[in-house]
Amino acid sequence: MSGMKMVGLKLDGRTVQAPEGTSVLKAAELAGIAIPHFCYHPAFEAEGNCRMCLVEIEDLPKLELACSTVVREGLIVRTSTPSVLQARKDVLEFLLAEHPLDCPICDKAGECKLQEYYDRHGLFPGRFVEAKEKRDKKVAIGKGLLLDRERCILCTRCVRFLRKVTGTGELGVFERGVRAEIGTYDGVPVDNNYSGNLVDICPVGAITDTDFRFKTRAWFLKKGPTVCPICSRGCAVVVESVTGYPLGIDERKVFRIKAGENPSVNGTWICDLGRAGRRDIDERRHVRVMKNAVPEEELSWQKALADVTARIRAVPGPERSAKIAVVLNSRLTCEELVLARRIFAESLGLGKISFADPKPGAADGFLLTEERVPNARGVLQSGFSPVLPDLDTLAAAEVVLVFGSHLLEHFSEEAISRALAGIPSKFLFSAHAGPLDRSAEIVFPVAVPAEKSGTYVNIDGLRQSFGRAVEPPPGVVPELEIFGCLANGLGLNRGEPDAC
Amino acid sequence: MIEDAVRLIPADDSSWRLEAYLRRGGYQAARKAVTSMAPQDVIAEVRRSGLRGRGGAGFPAGLKWSFVPQGGTAPKYLCVNADEGEPGTFKDRAILVRNPHQLLEGIIIAAFGVGIGQAFIYVRGEYASIAGRLEEALAEARAKGFLGPGIFGSDFGLEVVVHFGAGAYICGEETALLESVEGRRGQPRLKPPFPAVVGLFRSPTVINNVETLSNIPSIIGRGADWFAAQGILKDGGTRLFGVSGAVRRPGLYELPVGTPLRTIIETHAGGPPDGVAIKAVVPGGLSAPVLRPDELDVPMDFDSLARAGSMLGSAGVIVIGDRTPILDVLEVTARFYAHESCGQCTPCRLGTSWIHKIVSRMAGGKGRPADLDLILDLAGGMKGRTICPMGDAAALPVHALVSKFRDELEQEFSR
Repeated sequence: MSGMKMVGLKLDGRTVQAPEGTSVLKAAELAGIAIPHFCYHPAFEAEGNCRMCLVEIEDLPKLELACSTVVREGLIVRTSTPSVLQARKDVLEFLLAEHPLDCPICDKAGECKLQEYYDRHGLFPGRFVEAKEKRDKKVAIGKGLLLDRERCILCTRCVRFLRKVTGTGELGVFERGVRAEIGTYDGVPVDNNYSGNLVDICPVGAITDTDFRFKTRAWFLKKGPTVCPICSRGCAVVVESVTGYPLGIDERKVFRIKAGENPSVNGTWICDLGRAGRRDIDERRHVRVMKNAVPEEELSWQKALADVTARIRAVPGPERSAKIAVVLNSRLTCEELVLARRIFAESLGLGKISFADPKPGAADGFLLTEERVPNARGVLQSGFSPVLPDLDTLAAAEVVLVFGSHLLEHFSEEAISRALAGIPSKFLFSAHAGPLDRSAEIVFPVAVPAEKSGTYVNIDGLRQSFGRAVEPPPGVVPELEIFGCLANGLGLNRGEPDAC
Repeated sequence: MIEDAVRLIPADDSSWRLEAYLRRGGYQAARKAVTSMAPQDVIAEVRRSGLRGRGGAGFPAGLKWSFVPQGGTAPKYLCVNADEGEPGTFKDRAILVRNPHQLLEGIIIAAFGVGIGQAFIYVRGEYASIAGRLEEALAEARAKGFLGPGIFGSDFGLEVVVHFGAGAYICGEETALLESVEGRRGQPRLKPPFPAVVGLFRSPTVINNVETLSNIPSIIGRGADWFAAQGILKDGGTRLFGVSGAVRRPGLYELPVGTPLRTIIETHAGGPPDGVAIKAVVPGGLSAPVLRPDELDVPMDFDSLARAGSMLGSAGVIVIGDRTPILDVLEVTARFYAHESCGQCTPCRLGTSWIHKIVSRMAGGKGRPADLDLILDLAGGMKGRTICPMGDAAALPVHALVSKFRDELEQEFSR
């Protein structure tokens, strides 16, 4: 915050500093004072419609909005006087009057602002004895989004997101007074690559995602922050999963991916492709070593890898460069790439190191990049010059190690299996089941990015280290461990071959 | 008696015609301002006159004009508020029908003073059927060169567009009016910034009520002192008092600001019909808290009514006779605000509806003793807690009806 002018104000008797131009709400947050709010969102201008953030400001006759009042030198703000507390209670009472109170079947329960604030600022007995408004509870507004108009508190975050962030403006407020409701214009649905953010920013359970709806409860979810591997933007994401209870003892399931916060990359938004990455973590996964396309219950990856090491060692040193081929990919972390470079390029001196990546797609002008890999910059920084393998050259090798299944995006299945057919030793390291499995002698299950810790370098050259967001299935490890084991087996660490 | 020349509502049959207005000395003040006064002197004269806004809030008109940044090349706009939606108010309608040229002359002077080249007259949709005379007047003024480029041979030009609303009370609130003119959903904006700085199409904008602007020609023509002397107390000028309800002669009365409410009702409107006694009076449009019969000796100016716990508002006087149950008044009041809340702010959206639901239940004979205190609490939760004054406009009259006529309302429960 250097260079930013600070102003001094008094918050609940404490003198605090806040950057010039910030709102009272933000200044309070910086000082550790949480002012409740529904409609305010840091990404938008203050809207001021929920009236939840009203505070007392010295010398002003009425309560003022903390979200829209800008700090100034000498401002005296009180956030928990009896009149402020009463105003919060009143807003909650108004909102809850017409609220369906269906928390037991609401996906938002446990992470709902209305619930949270009632618990903290409400706790009054209900006085509403009239008939509640009946409204549509399952309006399909597009892209797997369902709108429950009874739960909606009309904060208009969704409307503003679509106007100001995506610029698509699919939602608006219709009717007025208590009949006011969110809706689409002439039924034209929400259709953009950022629709999932509407679920994230809805402070209540009004907009829910059919992919998550009724699947689990918020309080069971373990939240693991990581970096999205879908494209080269490197957005902060949070992988939310359940391991064990209430699932089976060894069961693990990722229920959703939400936007994480990173002001210098994605702010608080992620695209729908990133969100759909949930399926990559859970679905079509290899969890066993496979030999000749048959899962081996008893065979550990370490034992199987010993076989790989032996085949590599069997190739005489001078012939290795021509007879051993490796296909890597740009979803590997920097740590993995450094190790791969040491093993395959520097120690084994291989000439045939190529890369097979997902094909580029269209950038959407916002976060999604053309590149559909997270670490192309990391590949370059690790000293590789990535080129696509040439199938004829590949076919001339005796030992082939393929990491990832993206060859299929560049060559037909037939061409690949033809090229691999004559190779005596061919090993595939892949997280997901696929057609390549049939062509490999041994298939090693590996971790997906969310199950790794490591570093990616994004499209702007930003290095982002991340921890493991979710545990891999038992017996499944990241390539880092496989490379490490390979290095041991080849005697690259201490000069002598060593078991893992 | 007020001389005919300065009447906002002239008596003659063809009063709306240009020639009739010219006979009354029309457009001379505008000519004087445009050809012989500096813009800042126009503003100064209006400030000195003490003219306060006739729309309801009573904000000093000249002061409002002075907030608009002077000079600059960016466009500035004038919006004329003809959205007259306050129940019990029918004064702007009379001006539009009987004296549209006086409004246009006021618009010309205001625009000249503030440096505005484009004005919009925002007419409520319900007045579309009577707006023909306004359109006609605009055409006459354009034909005479009172509007358009180079007015009175000067380099000052002005275009005026009539814009119709679509039936929303809230669009009478100045920032909701701006949203509506811009083609968006009519709902109030968060202030600051104020319209004088960021208004229509994000440009500096003056918003004045029809009656306010119609007073401008006589202020410029006869001077601020003359205007100020027309009022009885501090407030200058006259007001169009619209009297409706339980009186013998309901109608519009142009009287000096500060005329006592009782005089308006008893002397001018003829008092209640035989056999009817006054039970309550709403002094300034429905949003003004109701007065009891013993509170009627109040001068009808902004400050006196504020001291009396109510407001002059739009000066629409609604007289309620003793044959009208207060519960009916409460029901109509609650229904109106529940129907007209734009729905933007939580307290107004849900408070107006909740109160209406309670009052409807009471009207259906199912009231509970706790209802009245609950209504007072809900009104308290709305008052001062919304973006625009509608939260107050809805809360205050309900609060006053319940607290001042509690005995009568409580009898509903024992019946």
